[in-house]
Amino acid sequence: MDRVECQWCRAQNEPGRTSCLTCGAPLDVKNLVSDSGWLEAPRLRDMSEFRFANSTCQIEGEIVPVAELALAAGDSVFFEHHVMLWKEPNVPVSALSTGGGLKRMLGGMPHIVTVAHGPGRVALSRDATGEVVVLPLHPSMEIDVREHAFLAATHTLTYSFVRLGIANVLHGGGGMYMDRFVTQSWPGLLLLHGYGNVFQKTLQPGEKIQVEPGGFLYKDSSVTMNPVKLNVKTGLLGRSMYLAEMTGPGRVGIQSMYVHHGSD
Amino acid sequence: MSTPGAQGAYTCPYCRMGSDGASHTCPHCGAPVDVSLRVTHSGWLEQPPIRDMARIRFGHSTCQISGAYVPVAEMDLRGEDWVYFSHHSLLHTDTKVSLANLPLKGGWKRMRAGLPLMMMWAKGPGHIAFSADAPGETLAVPLAPGRAIDVVEHSFLVATGNVEYQWENANVWFTTRDGDETEWHFPVGQTMDRFTAAGSNGLLLLHAPGNTFIRDLRPDQRILVQPGALVWKDQSVAMFLHFEYPGGAYWYSSARWQAKTTWLALQGPGRVAVKSVYERPEHTGYVYQHSGATQMSWNSGPSQGFGSPWGGQVARGFIAGGLGGILGSAISSMFDDN
Repeated sequence: MDRVECQWCRAQNEPGRTSCLTCGAPLDVKNLVSDSGWLEAPRLRDMSEFRFANSTCQIEGEIVPVAELALAAGDSVFFEHHVMLWKEPNVPVSALSTGGGLKRMLGGMPHIVTVAHGPGRVALSRDATGEVVVLPLHPSMEIDVREHAFLAATHTLTYSFVRLGIANVLHGGGGMYMDRFVTQSWPGLLLLHGYGNVFQKTLQPGEKIQVEPGGFLYKDSSVTMNPVKLNVKTGLLGRSMYLAEMTGPGRVGIQSMYVHHGSD
Repeated sequence: MSTPGAQGAYTCPYCRMGSDGASHTCPHCGAPVDVSLRVTHSGWLEQPPIRDMARIRFGHSTCQISGAYVPVAEMDLRGEDWVYFSHHSLLHTDTKVSLANLPLKGGWKRMRAGLPLMMMWAKGPGHIAFSADAPGETLAVPLAPGRAIDVVEHSFLVATGNVEYQWENANVWFTTRDGDETEWHFPVGQTMDRFTAAGSNGLLLLHAPGNTFIRDLRPDQRILVQPGALVWKDQSVAMFLHFEYPGGAYWYSSARWQAKTTWLALQGPGRVAVKSVYERPEHTGYVYQHSGATQMSWNSGPSQGFGSPWGGQVARGFIAGGLGGILGSAISSMFDDN
């Protein structure tokens, strides 16, 4: 019997399923792609459920979705501590050693990353209307994520942060650092929260797209990001405007609601 | 294919443009064709959200709306078509799209009014996309030649090049006092944007937080709305302030001023649009001066009902409504609030 391939994460699913067992994307809805090739992130149905390792995640709500994780013994997830909505009292938590404490503090990144260990349930949500983006990662993948955009990651992922180039820091509007998630020999799961709606585009080698820096959400580490100065002035004092130019190959994710990064 | 403004088999109830009605969405405003009208008992027509990936045509180009919470308007610019926008609404662009400044007059006044100082224009060929900064709806307003609408500040997303843009004083204001300081209040903003289609059909895209409702007012018909809820109105619709004082035992105290409601009165003929998410009004205390306004005090009887909006360069004592007002003002100035 033919299996059903998820158009978002490419996982194979049993016939008859209406949502992907690996990422929760609806299987009975066709992809929404704009004329220029931006793929809308799948809108997860209320109460969609999917699996990772021996645990499950259920997405609840649609305007500000909640990710409720039922952690099995031996599984754990880490997240910024302020996204924790509720937890069962018996779920142990610990702090993840992130390294670079001073740099992280200076860069405005979370100083404490919390780890919740199974067995038990914990629920996470962010602070504004948006979408949960589920990114199952195969072994040996690297993905860079905008500061404060990650909702949760499984313990099989290695978490670090990369400093943006000086030009990006000064003109990019995306902060000083990006979170970097890497899988080693095991697959992992990354949950992001994007403000508004989230769109993804896969760039071919050498293909470029210019994005408002505030709209950048994630990218494969193979995609390079550089600020480009536009030949326009945006104020009486002649301030310039910058966009982030992304060059493939790889995926780029953007969010439709953002705070304009300003101009300098 | 339909012709903008022409009478066709189907006239869109939301933008009033004609088309053949063969597609699922109106080619001029993106509104769904195959849904029944949702009209409240009082006559407000709910503007349906533009369907995900719906296309709107203008000139030789198209605009595609995607997303549901904070929709993105992605334009495929072709031929000589161009659009202008405020630079902070730009989300992404092809590298081949030309971008440049669209300088505006009155920079100093615009800066004081909190309006964008510069507009940018974009010319194809290529794709360029825009989005706003709050959950809500993208409103597509096709403008037939000569039609003008007034839009509240910061609602504008993008417009086609043949839509003329100017801005004018909203002329809806009042002042209060804080000690010796005079505070100015502009309930609908200090200025309003006016967009007029020149020569040919134009397309204007707005963004309104929350849901949007539209209503057609008959000549001289008046409605009261929260000032912060207005999105746009036809140029023919007049607007002015309306102060409403509730009845109750506190009528002689400073609470009288805090309890009043400051409405925006809209008077037809013409169409108005309001949004369901808006800035909540602040308590403003005693009003000293104001632009043209009417008032209603539920302690003073029906004689204080609607009348012609009166100019109030010096409103002191008139609004007060006699001794109670004077007493209230005195208490107010003694104890606190303004």
